[in-house]
Amino acid sequence: MARERVTQADEWQAWAQRYDIEGGIRTFESGLTVKVFVGALFVGLLMMPGSIYLSYVSGESGAGAAPWVAVILFTELARRSFTTARRQELYMLLGLTGAAVGSGMQYRSFIWYAYFINTPQAASYEIADKIPEWIVPAGDSVGVLTRTLIHPDWFLPIAVYLAQKLLGTLRIVSGQYILFRLTADLERLPYPMAPITAQGATALAETTGKEETWRWRVFSIGSMAGLIWGFLYIGVPSLTGVMMSQPIQILKIPWIDFTQSIEGFAPTGVFALRTDFGQMLFGFVLPFPIVMTEFITAMASQFILNPQILYRYEILNQWKPGLDVRAVGLFNGLDFWISYGMGKSFSLALVGMAASIPMLFKLRKSKKTAGERGSMATPPNRGDFPIWLMGLLWLVGMGGFVWLIHWMVPNFPLSFLLGYAFLYTPINSYITARTFGVLGRDLFEIPYLHEITFILSRYEEIDIWFAPLPDEDYGRGTQGWRVLELTGTTFTSNLAGTLLIMPILIVSGIVVMHFIWKIAPIPSAQYPFAQMMWPINATNECLWKTSLRDGNSQMLQAIRGDYVAAGFTSSLAIYGMLWVFKLPSMWFYGIIGGIGADPGSMIARLLGAIIGRFYMIKRFGMKRWYMFNPVLAAGFACGVGLIGMGTVAIALVSKAVIVKPF
Amino acid sequence: MEKVASGIIIIGTFLWLFSVIALEGRWQWQMFSALVLTVGIFVAHFWEELRDTDSTEESGDE
Repeated sequence: MARERVTQADEWQAWAQRYDIEGGIRTFESGLTVKVFVGALFVGLLMMPGSIYLSYVSGESGAGAAPWVAVILFTELARRSFTTARRQELYMLLGLTGAAVGSGMQYRSFIWYAYFINTPQAASYEIADKIPEWIVPAGDSVGVLTRTLIHPDWFLPIAVYLAQKLLGTLRIVSGQYILFRLTADLERLPYPMAPITAQGATALAETTGKEETWRWRVFSIGSMAGLIWGFLYIGVPSLTGVMMSQPIQILKIPWIDFTQSIEGFAPTGVFALRTDFGQMLFGFVLPFPIVMTEFITAMASQFILNPQILYRYEILNQWKPGLDVRAVGLFNGLDFWISYGMGKSFSLALVGMAASIPMLFKLRKSKKTAGERGSMATPPNRGDFPIWLMGLLWLVGMGGFVWLIHWMVPNFPLSFLLGYAFLYTPINSYITARTFGVLGRDLFEIPYLHEITFILSRYEEIDIWFAPLPDEDYGRGTQGWRVLELTGTTFTSNLAGTLLIMPILIVSGIVVMHFIWKIAPIPSAQYPFAQMMWPINATNECLWKTSLRDGNSQMLQAIRGDYVAAGFTSSLAIYGMLWVFKLPSMWFYGIIGGIGADPGSMIARLLGAIIGRFYMIKRFGMKRWYMFNPVLAAGFACGVGLIGMGTVAIALVSKAVIVKPF
Repeated sequence: MEKVASGIIIIGTFLWLFSVIALEGRWQWQMFSALVLTVGIFVAHFWEELRDTDSTEESGDE
């Protein structure tokens, strides 16, 4: 019997419904209240100095868990005050606290370049006197020598930064929104990772209500699993690292390398078992066909394609016996896979366009209701913005940004900036939005893009290395809009919260960074991580910024037209043949994700997917399991984050204690 | 149209295999195959979407 064709439209619609909390029926409410705003500022600003300080002392900011800590504090306060917290409020709190904690880090580059400009490395590579004044004042200026950010010398770098920030906000909000409308509303891509955050906020919100439901129970199970796993995987090495010269690792971090064990029968193959078994939780969440096809393709790549075809025909020609996973990966990448990967990424864009353009044609023909694939109609009260307005804001933001860069580097060809801004950025962002919508992660990255641009432009001044380029990616951020939708938070309230908190964070970030710099020079003995790493980083930055002086870059030589074309065309052929044989289009994304990848990094995810598919769904039923697993994953992330924060705090205290020798 | 789209895609795939095996994988030939495949994929999606509209309209009339 012939297989019945399931259109891509129906396939995606079915997956989107599985990941849709409450079956797509929800009311939207504002998440922005005075208590949320004050709470986020309080926790965020309290933790921000510690986070900056920690990053210089230990290299870990510990900022990841801060938003969850804020949410747990908030819900506990609500319970004790006999009030309730809505999930919209909690999700808003998550976002605003994260922004507040991270706000100090936005000025890191000022401190870095104030150090870099006076390093012997910058002087010996003849860079020091060529660093533009819109990045950092001169090395002998008062602002740098007295370590003060609040000084007229810093006016130009800070003004340029603020202009970039303002224009960036315009571009990012509008760019993300337009792509969200295209991928989530029009194409109905499922965004499999979005429910994790959404369900976490929902579960915690329910604890403040009169009745606790299954969500809190499942969230607690996930949190306890996260705490135990976090203690074993992160806690034990961190804590023993404080006390011993060599930390104890119960499971080798980050992987156990079997590459040398397989080289006898699979030369050029890589297999490194990733030991972060927390990935199993993501296997529960991700669509089973994607995880399975990804793994099978990765196995075929490393055990058949690499050793039996690419190595045999001397396409992979730098491999030598005895290399570990990093070296084999690097050589294989330079020989073939970087070029191939570029080609396959471009195929994602084309496939996306092929699926979207007919839908746009169809829109003219038929009126569809909101929530249906192929419809641009928005659910009522979601707080949407007119698309034309967002398009206009993006044009203004991008136009202003291009003008600003042109002002910074007036001799750099404007055509490159315009090409990046109005051609590369939209395509790149659209590809990423689609991969996030389907896989929950990014697949598209062109390596050494800036180097290629600088060579093609024949521009030889060093200042271009310090200027930003308008090669942006808004695709990753579309997931945040999907989470807003899943939590029932109005888009307008989220935008209002972001805009309200921004000026406060801009000012407080500068002040806090100023005081931390005043405590002691960075790097110095007070900041051991910076003292250890920054001189190496300075050398690397010098090497990097002078790498094109002699017109020779190994990375550029690695990009071969034949292999890029092979990646592009073979991916299109795979997509086409899946369509011809009426196989699910999900397989395409799995194959594309797995081809050339290390199967060892997927074992945990695969285990999660198999347990979910063959045990959990049978045990709980598909509907309940798809409701459970994002909550479980959110609880797990919360537990691991709390352990991470706890161990960082202990490490901080131990570093603050000075042991006297008498 | 479904058969036309399938035919174009199969031709494009064979062209690509031929360009890799017999023409040393030169990018020009590979990109020509990609062009054929692109046409096939676009035809396939246009057919899927427009067929869907036609059937919806028909069922609405009933």
